[in-house]
Amino acid sequence: MGEFVRGYLGLVRASTQVAIAYRGRMVVWFLTGFFPLLLMAVWLTVVAGSGPPRGWTTGDFIGYYAAAAVLWHLSGQHVVWEWDADQRSGDLSVRLMRPMHPFHQYAASDLGHRVVALAMLVPVLAMATLVTPGLQYHLTAVRALAVAAAVLLGYLLSLVMASVFALVGFWTTQTSNLYMLWWGMGSFVSGWVAPLALMPGWLRPAAGVLPFRTTMGFPIEVLTGRLAGTQVWFGFAVGLGWLGVFTVVYLAAWPHAVRRHQAVAG
Amino acid sequence: MRRWRRYPRILAICWRAALSTELEYRLNFVANTVLSLFWMCWAAAGAAVYFQFAGDLAGWTYPELLVVIGLFFTVNGLRQALFQPNLQRMGEYVRRGTLDFMLTRPVDAQLLVSLRYLGIHNLLDPVLGLALAGAGLAASGRGVSAASAASFVVMLAAAVLLLYALMLTLMALAVVLVGAQELDQIAFGAVELSRFPVQLYRNPVQSVLTVVPVAFLTTYPAQALLGRLHPVVLLVGPVLSLGCVGLASLAWRRSLRSYTGASA
Amino acid sequence: MIDTGKSTPVTGTGLYGTAAIVLVVTVEVDGLVKCYRVHRRRAGLRAALGGLFRREYTEVRAVDGVGFSIAAGQIVGFLGPNGAGKTTTLKCLAGLLHPTAGTVRVLGHTPHQRERDFLRQVSLVMGQRNSLFWDLPALDAFEVNRVIYGIAPARYAAALAELVELLELEPLLTKQIRVLSLGERMRCELAGALLHEPRVLFLDEPTLGLDVTAQAAVRGFLRDYNASRGATVLLTSHYMGDVTALASRVLVIDHGRLRFDGDLSALARAHVTHRIVRLRLARPVPAAALAGYGEVVGTDGPALTLRVPATDTATVAARLLVAFDVVDVAIEDPPIEDVIRAVFAGG
Repeated sequence: MGEFVRGYLGLVRASTQVAIAYRGRMVVWFLTGFFPLLLMAVWLTVVAGSGPPRGWTTGDFIGYYAAAAVLWHLSGQHVVWEWDADQRSGDLSVRLMRPMHPFHQYAASDLGHRVVALAMLVPVLAMATLVTPGLQYHLTAVRALAVAAAVLLGYLLSLVMASVFALVGFWTTQTSNLYMLWWGMGSFVSGWVAPLALMPGWLRPAAGVLPFRTTMGFPIEVLTGRLAGTQVWFGFAVGLGWLGVFTVVYLAAWPHAVRRHQAVAG
Repeated sequence: MRRWRRYPRILAICWRAALSTELEYRLNFVANTVLSLFWMCWAAAGAAVYFQFAGDLAGWTYPELLVVIGLFFTVNGLRQALFQPNLQRMGEYVRRGTLDFMLTRPVDAQLLVSLRYLGIHNLLDPVLGLALAGAGLAASGRGVSAASAASFVVMLAAAVLLLYALMLTLMALAVVLVGAQELDQIAFGAVELSRFPVQLYRNPVQSVLTVVPVAFLTTYPAQALLGRLHPVVLLVGPVLSLGCVGLASLAWRRSLRSYTGASA
Repeated sequence: MIDTGKSTPVTGTGLYGTAAIVLVVTVEVDGLVKCYRVHRRRAGLRAALGGLFRREYTEVRAVDGVGFSIAAGQIVGFLGPNGAGKTTTLKCLAGLLHPTAGTVRVLGHTPHQRERDFLRQVSLVMGQRNSLFWDLPALDAFEVNRVIYGIAPARYAAALAELVELLELEPLLTKQIRVLSLGERMRCELAGALLHEPRVLFLDEPTLGLDVTAQAAVRGFLRDYNASRGATVLLTSHYMGDVTALASRVLVIDHGRLRFDGDLSALARAHVTHRIVRLRLARPVPAAALAGYGEVVGTDGPALTLRVPATDTATVAARLLVAFDVVDVAIEDPPIEDVIRAVFAGG
């Protein structure tokens, strides 16, 4: 077990190094990952034109989308592209020859990039709260802890969900497309397209029990203090439940995926 | 004179090969079609969320907004089909020295390098985008006149030329910087900004995006189609885009000079 | 008496009560078959459109009933033309492919089950493919392998020092893998693959794309490493030179079948009877003028190709350089296809 942990840490350290080496690329990536801010701009126009929708003020939107812009970069979904690319190029064979499960290889590699993203973005967000009058999170120690836990849970869930989709790549070339379909549909109930409080009423019960909110809307709602205590616990329960479900699916599917790879590609 | 006939022929061969390869992967074909439709519906549905709370956004009704979104898919689709594949390969050409081959062929390098590859499956997006724009126009209750149709064509052509100029400039950069994925990201980001009409971003962003001609990519063509375009813009558009293409060509030639100078 | 699959020497009692130490088999393959379904398409746009609706499949037998066993510490070369089935065979041994039929045992494990114990004792290196982190300096990339394989720091340090010395990696350690030349990268790949001191090393076209110096370096290293460590080395190649330099034993595979399994010198003696000499002269010379030196098999202006008996190649080349105004000369082994054709003809 200790060896496994050491292996993980080693891989994370290596991928952190790589991420830092490509910091130029990262900066551009951050700058162009501004889509949440675009959505925010439109909301601000709504506020200016028709008044606060359901009581959401300009400050509320800025707070929500600033967090969304950061959280977008802390998602574990990039492993899908890596898996996919490796399957196409044949580099997957290289990974399969290592005595470490490919899931962990990709996860550890991704974690390294997230660490760098975190190190770059969180200070930026913190500074933004200092200079922008409308942007305040009113964090207490307890809530900060809850936010950290929620972000971690969101990351893990997105990682496992992405890995499950990556397994589909052993049977079809459509991994990326299938994942994008999944993500696209989920974006309506995750808080990505719009804050869940502003989505049509019939959508919200579903959003509350589906896995998508755990990766985006839930951490933000915890951060902005919109949830009561029981709601927070419920959110964690839903997230953990889905994490369990996807983990089981992954573990069940993996032997079949390897078998398929050995039958076809090598 | 004969040279001008060669270019379309060369491109035709390249693009025919691209189509052939695309059909090879028939599942990809179907899947990409489904996904294109999906993203358009996604964008349309996403935009509808705002209209729960307002009848119009900065003077744009929902159908009118759909026109802009449709044109966004048109422009973005062209970017993905024609400009992105070639931009991505620029870095490779430089690294592997393939650019040398391109420079020694008796064809204008700019044309060959910038348009060689065609992502066929992405061509569906422009078509679907135009269809969405048409649907939005129909639903908006504004009729189509000869004037609006003509001005739309002009503004759309200007938008495509602007996009080409952007890609060409980035390709020039790719030669100098020995290619980078970042450049493709920049193009992506610039075009993403045109997803909504610029009036939806209030000042100062709105002014910035009018000068950096993102507004000309989708907002103004949409306004032209809807008959809402200020005549001055109709004049500025083509001039601006031609000017940008000229500047981009200059940048390209400059970068080639530095490339050949360096490798000598 | 032979304990198939276990590779540690076993002391056992023979039939008449005598103790015997038996060198045991590391690799055992029996009746290996591997088939693929391949979609066939004719050229042209119309055929492509047709392929959208209807597909023709053919079944390819990449490996068709191959069997052999290899003892510990051998260097074995799988030789054959491209597409012969050697890489497929090697991948079956490495566990990357699941056999359609037949059995494969390596170090007592069934490779395609990919047990961690098995993966820890083997290593795979593929020509022109990287397993080391592309963007890291070599030393850090090695460190990644250390943690993945869980190598104890002391053993790692010793193994690293030895490999750095043998492969002359000192000047490369701080350079990123991706900026290294092909030859330098292959040497680093080899080092990375051997840090965990595997008992079996699989090599797939290890000298592909390397220049002559790099090829010689790789071959020399593998020979020395095998001699000092006793690791079993299995390599595929379509370069005769790889096999000549390294392998004592050769398995010739063509069209998925084993055509020859035995001593390399026997193969060489029997079938590599001639070598190819390519000349580029300053001025074109009629082919007849070279008749005395060897069989002229090709002319192209000032470029001439001769077929010369292998034993005479050096002397003939020397005479040619004196007699003619030679701009460039190259001496090559006959293409492997010729050798293998000779193998078939020989039986």
